[in-house]
Amino acid sequence: MTRYDLVVVGAGPAGLSAAAEAAKAGLSVCVFDENAKPGGQLFKQIHKFFGSKEHRAKTRGIRIGEELLAEAAAAGVEVVLDAAVLGLFAERELTVRVGDEVRHVKGDAIVVATGASENMVPFENWTLPGVIGAGAAQTMMNLHGVRPGKRVLMLGSGNVGLVVSFQLLQAGCEVVAIADLAPSVGGYGVHASKLARTGVPFYLSHTIVRAEGTDHVERVTIAEVDASVPGCVFVPRSEKTFDVDTICIAVGLTPMAQLLNMAGCEMKDDPARGGLVPVLDAYGETSIPGVYAAGDVSGIEEASAAMIEGRIAGLAAARRLGFLEEGAFAEAVAAQEAALAGLRKGMFAPGNKGKVFEATDEGVPIAKNLLRKGFLSEEEAKRFWLDSRVKPENDNRYSGVHPVIECTQNIPCNPCQDACAKGCILVGADITALPVVGKPEDCTACGLCVASCSGQAIFLVNEDAGDGFAEVTLPYEFLPLPESGQKGAALARDGQALCAAEVVKAAAPKAFDKTCLLTMRVPKEYAQTARFFKAEVGA
Amino acid sequence: MNDRSRDIGTFIPGADDDMIICRCEEITKGEIRRAVHDGMFTIAEVRRMLRCGMGLCQGQTCARLVKGIVAAELGVRGTELESASARSPMRPIEMRVLGRDQ
Amino acid sequence: MKKTADVIVVGGGAIGNATAYNLAKNGVDVLVLEADEVVGNGGSSRNGGGVRQSGRDPRELPLAIYGIQHIWPNLKDELGMDVEYHREGNLRLGRTEAHRAILNGLTDRAVECGLDVRMVEGDEAREICPYLSDAVLCASWCATDGHANPMLTTLAFYRAARRLGAVYHSGAKVTEIKKQKGRARQVVTEDGDVYEADVIVLAAGYGSRAIANTVGLEVPMHTQLMEVIVTEGVAPMFWQMLGTADADFYGHQSDHGSFVFGITGGYEDFSTAVRPVSSSIAASSACRVILGYFPILENLKIVRSWAGWIDVTADHVPVFGPVEEVPGLILVCGFSGHGFGICPTAGLLLSELAQGQTPTLPVDAFRYDRFKAPA
Repeated sequence: MTRYDLVVVGAGPAGLSAAAEAAKAGLSVCVFDENAKPGGQLFKQIHKFFGSKEHRAKTRGIRIGEELLAEAAAAGVEVVLDAAVLGLFAERELTVRVGDEVRHVKGDAIVVATGASENMVPFENWTLPGVIGAGAAQTMMNLHGVRPGKRVLMLGSGNVGLVVSFQLLQAGCEVVAIADLAPSVGGYGVHASKLARTGVPFYLSHTIVRAEGTDHVERVTIAEVDASVPGCVFVPRSEKTFDVDTICIAVGLTPMAQLLNMAGCEMKDDPARGGLVPVLDAYGETSIPGVYAAGDVSGIEEASAAMIEGRIAGLAAARRLGFLEEGAFAEAVAAQEAALAGLRKGMFAPGNKGKVFEATDEGVPIAKNLLRKGFLSEEEAKRFWLDSRVKPENDNRYSGVHPVIECTQNIPCNPCQDACAKGCILVGADITALPVVGKPEDCTACGLCVASCSGQAIFLVNEDAGDGFAEVTLPYEFLPLPESGQKGAALARDGQALCAAEVVKAAAPKAFDKTCLLTMRVPKEYAQTARFFKAEVGA
Repeated sequence: MNDRSRDIGTFIPGADDDMIICRCEEITKGEIRRAVHDGMFTIAEVRRMLRCGMGLCQGQTCARLVKGIVAAELGVRGTELESASARSPMRPIEMRVLGRDQ
Repeated sequence: MKKTADVIVVGGGAIGNATAYNLAKNGVDVLVLEADEVVGNGGSSRNGGGVRQSGRDPRELPLAIYGIQHIWPNLKDELGMDVEYHREGNLRLGRTEAHRAILNGLTDRAVECGLDVRMVEGDEAREICPYLSDAVLCASWCATDGHANPMLTTLAFYRAARRLGAVYHSGAKVTEIKKQKGRARQVVTEDGDVYEADVIVLAAGYGSRAIANTVGLEVPMHTQLMEVIVTEGVAPMFWQMLGTADADFYGHQSDHGSFVFGITGGYEDFSTAVRPVSSSIAASSACRVILGYFPILENLKIVRSWAGWIDVTADHVPVFGPVEEVPGLILVCGFSGHGFGICPTAGLLLSELAQGQTPTLPVDAFRYDRFKAPA
């Protein structure tokens, strides 16, 4: 029997954080993960994270994973991969399959951080090959370098569906549509917008009627659901059929709490948390003393929250085993709890699940077109130019380049504020507040705000670049990168072609962390509507 | 207390009754619905009668779907039903590997 | 809501359901109270499914033989549901001369009881079941033993009883039986509900003990942990029921292809668990033992395990029958791990007793008051 102070199940964001925190307090820590690579979902997260500096905002998940692994390794954490935990038994004994061997391991404390699994939704022929989870698609693309298909329909407009759809585009797939049974986009509006402006159509209040194909998916039909009647009744003649080879399902996650359930922890079926979850105390301890849970296994949230939960569980284990004095524990936990509280605010806070908002915290009526179609209408975009001195009616007042921020929901995120050395952008102490462009005249067009915005919602606009043209700088994360002088079309927020455009600059310095800032020249009148560049075919 | 003589209505065939819900054991929605009308008022009874969720994946995919179908058939919320039990091993494991464990 | 009945059955397990089915079939107004939310959640769903005569105490044997001759073969048709009964024999395997001695003894005792049990050598055992290891030296063989699916059987009796009008209340935990004017009459549940019946059949497994205490009866019994492992499903290989001279595993292949093995880690008697849970070692030690007899199964995957309680009496034979000192009460418990195979017969006899009829088979050997101080 091998014994550690702490055994962690799952080397994802929560598990690694718990392990690192505990090891830094002096515990001997071993982490088991059934996958060949550590990091859980982090290494599939090629997008930049939201939040604040303390949450490693504007850092890509893959980088956070590397940092977390390095932190754990430096603290002396042992990580065993390809190690499937089989059971959690009495006296905190785990059985673990490592290769062709079964190990019995005991922990004086145990943190279960097994994450979540993808939900499925049945429809006619849902068992055809080609119907896959969005997370599976992400694994194929970002871990294995395999494109899941050529033409994809995404079911689900939550953050997973939106983020994976964007990654599908980045991988060179065509996303023919995003459908969702809900009447409004479930994920961050900024994630939806960056898809919509490339031309991906959103079908809210729609779901899949059937898939068709002989031995794999060849077609999918969606239809509008009549919200006025209970159950799933389709609106007559609302069917739309797409030729696709892949259907991605992103209809939520379920905590993988089977290990805790099997061990006999008190459990609760809590739909707000995604399903059956352990009942926990304030520090993540289950009803079995010394057994903790952290991350998605105890309720579906973002990885940023999972990392903090993991750290709190690691600290609690350290206190339990006498490695941390009460005072040091209280101080460390308070800091983590404050960080967690910052993340759990705003429109997408766990407690606001399903809530319909009419206005932002600032009192601005919410952008309903964004929720219904995935992009801001022109009127909505102007509604959210939150500069007290610039009103929509005199929106041409600026001379020179200035940021235009199309961030319209209260989500916990503030890297734009930190990015601007000139202090042009203000979010304030409450990180869910909408950013306000304060001193646009000080803008040096450095582009750091554009690159720092995890939602790709900041543009630099110069309404008058001479000769009747305007210049729009936008974040661009597709390959190949357009080159200066390249001709193409400017697309509007809804992805429709507006006018001819020419790339005048495409810059991707290291500070932008792989986000290219593409500056395009468009006729002046399109300065506030042109938001994407599409290269000419064959160009 | 659960009075199993209470009226849950009669079984009405549905257009999607042939749809497979548990892929491992190939159990259809109609079979699950019929089991409820045969008195299987809990997830455990439905699983024991039909084997849905008892195959290789141990209900990883279908547990939520089965619960939804049973709840709808009984006219209760899913949270009013017990959740499927979880048993070791968490992942299928060859007998020879277990047998080597001393 | 129904609160009175001709007969109340306390316990919706295999025995209770079989009793309710036979009563309902005879038009008796019957109400079943099950403590758990789930029908058949105790030993009825947590056993190896053996339908055996061999290896039984002579007192139980008539029930086993009756069931195998008269009830099990037709149960599928009678209940309208396949209970996966197979009467293809029971092999009790031995690999050493010490095993042979044990098996010889068991065989002699079975023959004395008139059973068709005989010893076979290893080669004949391998003819019966070609997948056996060459290490098998000998076996005892009872051709008329078999197995069925305990979960399906329990639920099939429940389903059929319910269809015939038996009323079931689950999540109704009985805490007390109350006598009224000298007869067992009232059944009180944890929620405070009071039910009434002319006859009360107490068939609540180990739970029967505490309930029987409330009318001044004690049965010397305890619980014992038992564990089972289940493999993934594979194409049918054989239908015999298996056991060993060492009793270190038993099992069979079920209709859906999984092998179901009752197992032991060696420490079951010392379990302090408050709920039946698998141990960390039983599956491993069982696989080692099983592969010694069936090396061909080495790459089969274990997908599931479970544990249960056996309610064991002092003499490993059930308590079964009317309690004269508490008129109106029929006590049935303590099947000691062999209740499933005889549950159809037990249900028949109990329904007869509950109707005041002379039972098809005598039940005197199972009296509740047979436990005496040694002479």
